[in-house]
Amino acid sequence: MASLFVLPEIAADTTEAVLTAWSVAPREPFVAGAPLAVVETAKAAVELTSETDGAVLALLVDPGADVTVGQPLALLGRPGEEVEDLDATLAALGARAAPSGAPATAPEPPAPADQPAASAAPAGRVFASPLARRLAHDAGLDIARIPGTGPRNRVRKRDVEAAKAARTAPATTAATGEPAEPWSAPAVRRDDEVPHSRMRRAIAERLVTSVRTAPHFYVRGTATVEDLLSVRRQLDEGGIAKVSVNDLVVKAVALAHVAVPEMNVVWTDDAVRRFSSVDVAVAVATDGGLLTPVVRDAAALPIAELARRTADLGDRARNGRLTPAELSGGTISVSNLGMYGVEEFSAIINPPHAAILAVGAAAAEPTVVDDRVVVAQRLHVTLSVDHRPVDGVVAARWMRAFLDLLEHPIRLVL
Amino acid sequence: MTEQRRLDPAAPWTEVVVTEADWDEADPDLLTSMFAHLVLIRTFEEYVLELAGQGLVHGPAHSSIGQEGGAVGSIHALTSADTVNGSHRGHHQFLAKVLRHVEPEGIDPRQPFSERVRDVLLRSLAEICGLDRGFSHGRGGSMHLKWTEAGAIGTNAIVGGGVPLAAGSAWAHRHAGTDDVAVTYFGDGAVNIGSTLETFNLAAAWRLPLCFFVENNHYAVSTNVEEATGEPRLSARGPGFGIASWRVDGMDPLAVHLAMEQALAHLRAGRGPALVEADVYRYFHQNGGYPGSAFRYRTKEEEAAWRARDPIAQVRGHLERRGILDAEEADATVARAKALLADIGGCLVEPDPDGKPGVRRIKPDEWPDPAFADVGIRSSLDELEGAELAEVDSYRGGVGEAKFVEAVSAVMCRRMETDDRIVVMGEDVHRLGGGTNGATKGLVEAFPGRVLGTPISENAFTGLGGGIALDGRFRPVVELMYADFMWVAADQIFNQIGKARHMYGGTTPVPLVLRSKVAMGTGYGSQHSMDPAGVFATSPGWRIVAPSTPFDYVGLMNAALRCEDPVVVLEHVDLYTTVGPAPLGDLDYCLPVGRAAVRRSGEDVTVLTYLAMTHYALEAAERVEGCDAEVIDLRWLDRASIDWDTIGESIRKTNRVIVAEQGPPGTSYGGWLADEIQRRFFDWLDAPVQRVTGREASPSISKVLEGAAIAGADEVLAALEAIGEA
Repeated sequence: MASLFVLPEIAADTTEAVLTAWSVAPREPFVAGAPLAVVETAKAAVELTSETDGAVLALLVDPGADVTVGQPLALLGRPGEEVEDLDATLAALGARAAPSGAPATAPEPPAPADQPAASAAPAGRVFASPLARRLAHDAGLDIARIPGTGPRNRVRKRDVEAAKAARTAPATTAATGEPAEPWSAPAVRRDDEVPHSRMRRAIAERLVTSVRTAPHFYVRGTATVEDLLSVRRQLDEGGIAKVSVNDLVVKAVALAHVAVPEMNVVWTDDAVRRFSSVDVAVAVATDGGLLTPVVRDAAALPIAELARRTADLGDRARNGRLTPAELSGGTISVSNLGMYGVEEFSAIINPPHAAILAVGAAAAEPTVVDDRVVVAQRLHVTLSVDHRPVDGVVAARWMRAFLDLLEHPIRLVL
Repeated sequence: MTEQRRLDPAAPWTEVVVTEADWDEADPDLLTSMFAHLVLIRTFEEYVLELAGQGLVHGPAHSSIGQEGGAVGSIHALTSADTVNGSHRGHHQFLAKVLRHVEPEGIDPRQPFSERVRDVLLRSLAEICGLDRGFSHGRGGSMHLKWTEAGAIGTNAIVGGGVPLAAGSAWAHRHAGTDDVAVTYFGDGAVNIGSTLETFNLAAAWRLPLCFFVENNHYAVSTNVEEATGEPRLSARGPGFGIASWRVDGMDPLAVHLAMEQALAHLRAGRGPALVEADVYRYFHQNGGYPGSAFRYRTKEEEAAWRARDPIAQVRGHLERRGILDAEEADATVARAKALLADIGGCLVEPDPDGKPGVRRIKPDEWPDPAFADVGIRSSLDELEGAELAEVDSYRGGVGEAKFVEAVSAVMCRRMETDDRIVVMGEDVHRLGGGTNGATKGLVEAFPGRVLGTPISENAFTGLGGGIALDGRFRPVVELMYADFMWVAADQIFNQIGKARHMYGGTTPVPLVLRSKVAMGTGYGSQHSMDPAGVFATSPGWRIVAPSTPFDYVGLMNAALRCEDPVVVLEHVDLYTTVGPAPLGDLDYCLPVGRAAVRRSGEDVTVLTYLAMTHYALEAAERVEGCDAEVIDLRWLDRASIDWDTIGESIRKTNRVIVAEQGPPGTSYGGWLADEIQRRFFDWLDAPVQRVTGREASPSISKVLEGAAIAGADEVLAALEAIGEA
């Protein structure tokens, strides 16, 4: 019995993706859990896997095609199964045979008169834990619209909770309207025009949303980091751990959040949401643009483990192997341009976070110690803060705690 | 040239043959009563076949027509206090016993049958038809006839299955200081089966007042006795076991009676068991109303030859010859019996209003209520009312530390001190300083006669324990040296002990405690290393307790001994030598039935476990990072006693479950539990129920293979680490 393999909803409010590559060929058998295709959304490249053993009867879209959630990507069946009339089979399964590679421009199938054509409701089977279904129902959320982070993208309790938080967060309102501008195939490309990638477009939208809705204010600080650099060197030379300055900064951010929990928040329409654990996003530059994977529970992680996880997230960000779950959550980002010699800068908050810390380079400069001018290694940081959930005094207390941690680095490696 | 010395068995083997002189000397009242019994039973059986022919008896109707003489002749020598059980073909045995009970002075065939006779025949017929007014409310039917008050302790559908139970009854008679006996009726088919032969040996070894009454009707269904055995003179089996044996013509009720009187004299004198082989013949096939010759395994001529020696005709002939009863009176007896059965039948069946003329149906009101299907599977636990209940934190005698195995022997010692009914049995429990692990240490010295080392015959001694429990005067504690031996004793454990209460109507207590050692990890290999919890959990009659600490062992064993259901107490060898919390004060408290223990509180996942695995789960919960596990020691494992309140509270908190056990997935415990959890707690589960089990194969002797086969802390740890991805 043939069945349709449709594009699942990979992340909240992600309705489109690009099918980057097929991992299987027509007629090729596969086993449950085997990758079938790679799709790229604004946030991540995701491998779509099969739920059962089977074989591909027909591929319905070509690599590189734009696809929408719920769109049939392939016809699956049993190994050896033949389809005599593909169009008829697809029609019988409720899917029209779409022109390959141009599904986005295909007319929508006519909806039955008594049923409004839901714009982006996914047609595929949604996996959700029983608990998640109940929680979503209680919260009035459509389970099909919640991105799942469990096995087979199963929606679990934490996904529903994230969706509940995101429902009221301003950032999530920005993505609507996208289908209003279907991206038709470009006729002529000029050399100096690079069409927006999904990721570029998403970055742009998020940042516009941020500056439009989150009133930013800025708190600057400078720390003397002789000891910090020394600790880092000792860890390295002692063969204890490969730790970067940025890892120590991330750890200090996390501990400062513990010290000033009023900073560990996000703004929602109804409430300021406080978090019990400290999740810190780390900005990673990739070829496609900026990604901010999240280091979970960073305050509790030993520095070596934090460094290892950050390095792993960075590697996978650059290779397009992050999961949607690793790109969501957190209350603050750390953006570090120090390795490029930037002295200091300020950054735009990554919604729905309440803050972002811009970190410059550590450099020797004159400073005053005991009324005398001396030369010391100094690091400049700028904290951008969303004024809706956080007031200036809180940000100031946080900055003091943070700088104190940088200047007493033993507390970062305890 | 060797010297040949003739050897003879120590026990006598005698054939009893009666002469006309014996008939002349027989008490007229004995003969008339036997005649009345024979006529009533024959008429009853014919009526059953009539109903069966009309489809009104659900299931087989194993007719005893032709072989009534053995039961009637033997049972006329018994008192009401003597007990009998029987086989699938047991109507005649049962009827003779209950008629004898209600008319102990005999039944006069010249008089109208009494209301008492009418009542027991009605209840018997109702039971056979599966109707509510039957002795077991129709649950037992034709093959499970039981009326304890009359000493009819239950016929049995497993060939040979009732024999060990009768040994338990015999043991109870003797241990109670009476000279009552038990008689177990079985056929030539059952004489070759293990439980019968094991019981021959056990009864002889323990000199039990048990009569093995073999109704040799020559056919096990269609297989005749000559082809089934090298010694078709079945009473020859007895002397080989040291059992005094008699052979007699079972078509001659007086001969049977006289042989039985000799056997009873032997039994009541305490000289050990007896075997009586009565040569009989069933006129019809295995079941139903057609002769065996119709099925071509015997000839019409053979049947005619046996019918010529019909027991009723023989008794009637001598009664008429001696002038005790004339032909007219005898005919009137038969006519009255037929009228009585028609009257009784009229209580149960009626013309079918939708059927053709002459078609009858069961009166609708006679059926049991379908809601009764599960009633009385187990005790209501009223017997635990008033028990002193305690947990470690509420026990007032102070809690210290002790070795687990010391708690095992200490609590049994204490209970045997306070309760004379308790008797302990099993292999080597009386030697080696308290059995192979010291679990019965000190008991044999303190309680002589109540700690019984058994021969290696699990079916017989487990069944004997079951018979004691059903008898009710004593409380048997049976030890299986290794849990795997439950397969050896499976018929007694599951078909008999586990089902008895429900099958016989739902009210019979079966207070048996089975101590079963779980010897995983001891290097005893594939056949000595199982955890039987999963298999016992499939048997609804059994309760299962799994203590993981000395304190719990005491409280669970006390509850088990007080409970009127069979309870298997699992004892893990890993725990015997461990030290844990133990009572410093009295050993008289019970743990509440059906209460689990939360051994570790946690937020992220609920680990359900029991026995030694509890400790391994706790170890894993301490070792794991980033997962806060709640560990629940189930303690009561059976379907009826499991603590859903505690489990549910935990699952609603953590939303994830791991069921952890050590043994293989095949006979595992967790399967049914996972199934039940997903239905009860579907809306609270955030992930599929996970299982930790051993490997598929049974553990091997090789230490590394054994270690790989059994799940422990590492496997629980891996499950905890993976639960986030489940």
